[in-house]
Amino acid sequence: MSATVLPNRRIEDWKYSDLRNAIDPAAVDSAPTATWRVSLSGAVEQNSLPEIAPRGVHGAMADIAVSHAESGVFLRVRKSQHGKAHLEVASAGHGRALIVVEDGASLILREKAFADDFANVAFDVVLGANARLEHVRETAAGIDAVRVSDYSVRVGQGGAYRAHFADFGAKLSRTELHIALEGEGAEAHLSGVSVLGEAGHADVTTRIAHAVGNTQSTQLFKIIAGGKSRGVYQGKISVAEGANGSDSRQTAKGLLLGERAEIDLKPELEILADDVKCAHGAAVGDLDPESLFYLRSRGLPEGEARALLMRAFLEDAVAEIGDEATRADVWSRVETALQELSA
Amino acid sequence: MLEIKNLHVDVGGKEILKGLSLSIAAGEVHAIMGPNGSGKSTLSYVLAGREGYEITSGSILYRGEELPAMAPEERAAKGVFLAMQYPVEIPGVTTMNFLKTALNAQRRARGDKEVDALGVLRLVREKAKALHISEEMLKRALNVGFSGGEKKRLEILQMALFEPTLAILDETDSGLDIDALKVVADGVNALRSPERAMLVITHYQRLLNYIVPDRVHVLSAGRIIKEGGKELAHELEAKGYAQIVQDAA
Repeated sequence: MSATVLPNRRIEDWKYSDLRNAIDPAAVDSAPTATWRVSLSGAVEQNSLPEIAPRGVHGAMADIAVSHAESGVFLRVRKSQHGKAHLEVASAGHGRALIVVEDGASLILREKAFADDFANVAFDVVLGANARLEHVRETAAGIDAVRVSDYSVRVGQGGAYRAHFADFGAKLSRTELHIALEGEGAEAHLSGVSVLGEAGHADVTTRIAHAVGNTQSTQLFKIIAGGKSRGVYQGKISVAEGANGSDSRQTAKGLLLGERAEIDLKPELEILADDVKCAHGAAVGDLDPESLFYLRSRGLPEGEARALLMRAFLEDAVAEIGDEATRADVWSRVETALQELSA
Repeated sequence: MLEIKNLHVDVGGKEILKGLSLSIAAGEVHAIMGPNGSGKSTLSYVLAGREGYEITSGSILYRGEELPAMAPEERAAKGVFLAMQYPVEIPGVTTMNFLKTALNAQRRARGDKEVDALGVLRLVREKAKALHISEEMLKRALNVGFSGGEKKRLEILQMALFEPTLAILDETDSGLDIDALKVVADGVNALRSPERAMLVITHYQRLLNYIVPDRVHVLSAGRIIKEGGKELAHELEAKGYAQIVQDAA
């Protein structure tokens, strides 16, 4: 068997995430099928992956996941039903997951990636008419972890996908989202925070296709990079010909702490329709010295003042998480990461 | 309380303060008046400990201690408060939460017991009322979307809350209409006490009609060129800075 060619910095999409540098191709080839820890409540059905599973648009690593994974997990919420699911890769390797939320149904999905190992997972998500999925993914910092998660999400008429990605860095962490707004009134709302310390890496790459008119997407990503870390956001929005009335907003901001850290923001727009609203902004900055002085002059020690400004920087992105308990969990992880950064 | 001797300060390699001396005793309110560019704000920032203000010679003693040796937060904990001309906006931090964090940071540094959320709320409410600061304003992000007057009132609220020993008010009157000016002045006057010293920095005499100083100092080109009682402020208003500077030369 010839060794798999891993995505690397010579490929434009992987310029800031050189997988070949992070892991040996032989280790990727010999990695087993991932197993899952799943817990469900409400009307969620769990089955093993069907022989012929629907597949949307994916990136390069998803093909490798599909060809290497011998089985996968299949969650389904039937028409007008509602449920919750917790999903976590239990043993590392290549994984596949299929999540179907049928017409008028809803699912709250909490996903965790805590193992300090290699995991390459391809997700296919299909949302029917007026279906809703609220998805929050949290990782734990993993200095040796190589994590690739590739989501293909198809949203039907009037459906809504809302997702938040909280990433605390790995040797290499790549979250790739391919979102197709396929029905009128379909929406996607993405947000995320990456808080990266010593030697951390986190790459969020989004591809949103407004295939039909009157579709809406919003994105709000915040990255804090300290130490020798690298934070990446690449976001491409395409509005198809005739997809009039589409509304798309994209914001990515970085806070760079120190000279050895790096943040790469790459927004892209491809608009083929006439009547659309697209707003995007990307900026990388440092902690504002005036704000820092103001807080210190009111008695906050420097470290505390810095942490407060970093929390403030992340606030609106974390606030996008709808569920209060989940939001509190993400905040406590953020706090821990910020303490390490300000120490 | 505050003893400044022959202070020289460089900002960005340029000398701004050129031998300033000033002494304020506990219980006194002093005013520093001066034209734009005379060094008024530089003096306030040096006292609060902002970076980039280099003391090339002279000394500042605060209650007998070397003030320049202290970090800004240490000065705050020891009772130095600067009401800033341009308070910064910090999105993502509510005003109330900021007040609690700052108050307790100062208390912690002094070895005092921290005040719980409810206790802070009670303290703030009581003081906010007198300054016409609404509950709604306290829930908003710190200074974000506040009018000029609201920002200044919030500075005075902080002063009331932290109960500093030395309060420096930098152009607290700028951008205020007469009603707002009175509210702010009442807030400041309420804090006058035998244990507390205040330094009011202003371009115009107007504020000093409401906060009546014990001493007035005229600052020009980095030096105090004239000193006097409260009547000096009126003289300045009548004659203008140019005349006073010329008389002093």
